[in-house]
Amino acid sequence: MSRREPRRRETALAFDRAAVRLGGRTIWSDLSLSVAHGQFVAILGPNGAGKSTLIKAVLGLVPVVRGSITVLGRAPRAARREVAYVPQADTLDAEFPVSALQVVLMGRYPRVGWVRRPGRADRAAARDALDAVGLAGQAGARFGTLSGGQRQRVLLARAIAQEPRLLLLDEPTNGVDAVSQQLLLLALQRLRADGAAVVVATHDLGLAHLACDDVCLLNHHQVGFGPVDETLTPELLRAAYGGQAIELGGQGVIVARP
Amino acid sequence: MSELVLEPFRLPYMQRALAEVLLLGVLTGVAGVFVVLRRLAFMSDALTHTVFPGLVVAHLAGRSLALGALAFGVLTAVLFTLLAANRRVGSDAGMAIVLTALFSVGVVLVSRQHSYTSDLTLFLFGRVLTVDRADLVTTLVLAVLVLAVLAVLGKELVLRAFDPEGSTAMGYRGVVLDLVLNLLIALVVVAAVKAVGTVLVVAMLVVPAASARLLADRLAGMTILSCAFGVLGGWGGLLASYQLSVRGGLRLAAGATIVVVLVACFLAALAVAALRGRDGAQAAAP
Repeated sequence: MSRREPRRRETALAFDRAAVRLGGRTIWSDLSLSVAHGQFVAILGPNGAGKSTLIKAVLGLVPVVRGSITVLGRAPRAARREVAYVPQADTLDAEFPVSALQVVLMGRYPRVGWVRRPGRADRAAARDALDAVGLAGQAGARFGTLSGGQRQRVLLARAIAQEPRLLLLDEPTNGVDAVSQQLLLLALQRLRADGAAVVVATHDLGLAHLACDDVCLLNHHQVGFGPVDETLTPELLRAAYGGQAIELGGQGVIVARP
Repeated sequence: MSELVLEPFRLPYMQRALAEVLLLGVLTGVAGVFVVLRRLAFMSDALTHTVFPGLVVAHLAGRSLALGALAFGVLTAVLFTLLAANRRVGSDAGMAIVLTALFSVGVVLVSRQHSYTSDLTLFLFGRVLTVDRADLVTTLVLAVLVLAVLAVLGKELVLRAFDPEGSTAMGYRGVVLDLVLNLLIALVVVAAVKAVGTVLVVAMLVVPAASARLLADRLAGMTILSCAFGVLGGWGGLLASYQLSVRGGLRLAAGATIVVVLVACFLAALAVAALRGRDGAQAAAP
């Protein structure tokens, strides 16, 4: 599979001059981007730039007021069953009485349907998903007793168990140790190889550099969108991050977190 | 010993009371797990107060108390869900408004009665010792209904409690699931209202499940323990109030004694959890 011509593959996600409003405020507008199947795209920008809102818009949780968002050829709400969302692990209640395996099994609920309980095939899929993120040995551990990085991997396993065609992640590397980060990326690469599109909202420039095909620089409007090496330039980064971007000898750029 | 423990339950009215509290122990034990995990304790408390005017209206109209409670319980569950969805009002302010408005209506109505005080006591604290066959049937029907719905929607409600956003992202409608849970809580309140009254029912819903949560690491274990605490509190409370009233001459109200036993269980669970936590910390220390 050639990575040189991603545009020619089928589109998993497309924004066409899209704008969303939330609480009477325009979060961003004029956003145009496309993600092909098997592609890994980062949404990059400072805090409050509208990255999380972008993920919510793809899930159909925030209405589009202008332009359009097409998810797997459909309106966002109609595509939810084939889209998996990985929230930040630390937004969930660590005291909740569930095991890691039970959390992963939740990803099977839409397939299992009402009334019925997850069956043997669902358990097998959940165990495979835990194995894919390197946590096969922690299946029985209570979710809250795992480390932050392990919890994040459990949530990725839940998304894998959904067998999605589009995967959305919100700041997956926040407070995550190096080992977990490696295992997260490995599991994501495997998903891509199976043809799933991956979109990650992050302020982690390293993650974008390391793993992504395309990057969308966002700060209430689209600062840039395209291949990593053409988009993560000092000029565009300064435009996106403003005073928080510090140039290093005309080559690299450091983004200082406020 | 068996004299002390079994003898009271040879009396027919004590048998009916026991059947009622055991049924309620299981029902509130299971439903309470969802109340505690969704952090809906305050909302349950509010519901119990809004069911009160329903009781008064039914009493004045000479209709079944359960019917009046049901009408107002459903009305409140719908109002709460709608007000909570309004971002400007918010769930806590919305609840406080509905709670006080309806509770005042109840007090105004009941204060026009000659038997004001005795009626008020019945509605607020219940009379478990006067439960008759019809009350038992009502409780049984409501219990079966609530437990059946929880069996059907249990896993979706747990997912919504654990990860509300994730649940919506998977395509589940949050408002619908919230409305269902609020309606179920309203039904539990209706089921328990004759026995323990509108004030004490919230203790039956929240205390056993909160005690269980202190001790259990898994949902299944928490549910079983919660039922066990509910049943133990109902049985122990009835027994204690009977024996202390008959032998000790203390005249304890049965409903309130049940709550005292439940709270004693909670304090014991708190102590056990604290001891366990200390042991755990010591074991983890190098």
